[in-house]
Amino acid sequence: MVGASLAEDGFRIVGVDYRKVEHPPDYVEAVYRANYNKTLIEDIFRRHRPTHVLHLGRVGNLKEQIGKRFDLNVLGSRKVMDLSLKYGAGRLVVLSTFHIYGAHPRNHIPIYEDEPLRAGTEFPQIADAIQFDNQALTWLHRHRALPTVLLRPCHVVGPHINNTISRFLRLPVIPVPMGFSPMTQFIHERDIVAAIVGATKGEASGVFNVAGQSPIPWLEAVALTGARVVPVPSSLGALALRASTRVSSAFPPYMINFFKFPCVISDVAFREAFSWRPRVTDREAIVSTVRGY
Amino acid sequence: MEETPAVMIGKALRTVIQRGNIAKAVDSLPVEINELGYDPWGLHPDRAKLYFALASLFYRYFRPVVHGIENIPDGRVLLVGNHSGQLPFDGLVVTMACLLTGTPPRLPRPMVERWFAVLPYINIVFSRAGAVLGDPINCRNLLEAENAILVFPEGVKGSGKTWKHRYQLAPFGRGFMRLALQTNTPIVPVAIIGGEESIISVYDFKPLARLLKTPYAPIPPHLFLVGPLAFWPLPVRFHIYFGKPMTFTGPFDDEDEVIDRKVEEVTDRLQAMIDAGRAKRRSVFR
Repeated sequence: MVGASLAEDGFRIVGVDYRKVEHPPDYVEAVYRANYNKTLIEDIFRRHRPTHVLHLGRVGNLKEQIGKRFDLNVLGSRKVMDLSLKYGAGRLVVLSTFHIYGAHPRNHIPIYEDEPLRAGTEFPQIADAIQFDNQALTWLHRHRALPTVLLRPCHVVGPHINNTISRFLRLPVIPVPMGFSPMTQFIHERDIVAAIVGATKGEASGVFNVAGQSPIPWLEAVALTGARVVPVPSSLGALALRASTRVSSAFPPYMINFFKFPCVISDVAFREAFSWRPRVTDREAIVSTVRGY
Repeated sequence: MEETPAVMIGKALRTVIQRGNIAKAVDSLPVEINELGYDPWGLHPDRAKLYFALASLFYRYFRPVVHGIENIPDGRVLLVGNHSGQLPFDGLVVTMACLLTGTPPRLPRPMVERWFAVLPYINIVFSRAGAVLGDPINCRNLLEAENAILVFPEGVKGSGKTWKHRYQLAPFGRGFMRLALQTNTPIVPVAIIGGEESIISVYDFKPLARLLKTPYAPIPPHLFLVGPLAFWPLPVRFHIYFGKPMTFTGPFDDEDEVIDRKVEEVTDRLQAMIDAGRAKRRSVFR
């Protein structure tokens, strides 16, 4: 969707994924399957000399072994950033996540970009995502010659999104931790696309949170899906999730804290720097995710 | 509709909301809410009416006499109170006093202890009614949005006081003073008389507190006579004294010693108000 939007604006699009892309969209000039930390990626940079590099492919799926996630997210990202500089790209956009702040009972509202990243204290499995972000942050301060934007969006949802939170909202029966309903933010796919496109075409650089309209309680979001709600004692839920990750990647265990404690981010800096505003309401964001349109 | 106990309680609370002017007071509050009716911290004015109706039952139970409510200035203000009574009835009474007797009605956002956030259901009720985690950034953001904030700088050392330390202020933290200086906010001292006698504790049973993961485990003197009923608050009368606003100037990141002197001015004023309030009181029940 980001590619389609940029193609409409006259950009030529080259796609790279570490997985096989079965049906590349029409607007893409070329698609490569390449690990970000292997040599093929440099060939792609050498051949196409991109003016803008959008590094949106952080691997969040815990099914991948930690070693592979480290290779792709940390070593691979480092390589993408170094190559962007080496081959003269004019702008770099890196997509991180707000998960790295961690949902915690001590979180104030809202959380700004310069605050500590608590997620790793309780869930070391997220270490690669934190290092991915920290590395990009250090990089953007060291290499001012290449304007870089590091984005930390909240839960991204929408009819075409297939991430953990969207799949969870589409369940017919949704388990919720008994007695908790933290304020939660969602951003619709159209809004995050507009944010990424804005960051690509804009002039500001730095690290920015990106959120949707306004936070709503988690139970209100679940109610909007129309699913049956099953309250579960949170200790039992956490235990089940930890056990399930041994056999399936369906749900990262750290997510349970996002249904118990708040992790509300401030995106005031992004709104001001890129004159961006979310257009889709919370209600529409959730309902369209479930209905698929 | 069938007259089940739940329906009857609902009807009774709606009557309380209307008769007690709770609805009118809440509707007049300048709260910015989103399309689903929430502010960013989780306050939901419509649901808060129900919780305030419940709170008003306790408010009536304690029959508070409110003095100096007119001292609360418009806009941002820090209400600094003495903490007592094991359970936060003092916060409830001050909040309801501001809501029901303030002109215009004010909703001081109580800053709650960090362990409330992990208590199932209670965390939801507190957020919907406007309580916010006691954190400097939460407090700063709310003050900059011209809210009234209710803080108890003694923290759990205040609320968990035993009988022999009643009405003696535990040491105040410096955080509230730094926030007042940073946000140019007046401080209104609030002396709360009655809280200490509502639930009396003669001993803090620390091993039990550690086991229950609570900040303290009070032992009321009549616990062995009446069992858990000893934790039901006694029908004492509260007297709430709102003092004149105090303004402070200077850098918020000044040395601790400088901040301590300013904090001392507040504790001295508050202790004097407490002592005067107690001297005027003829009986804990009148």
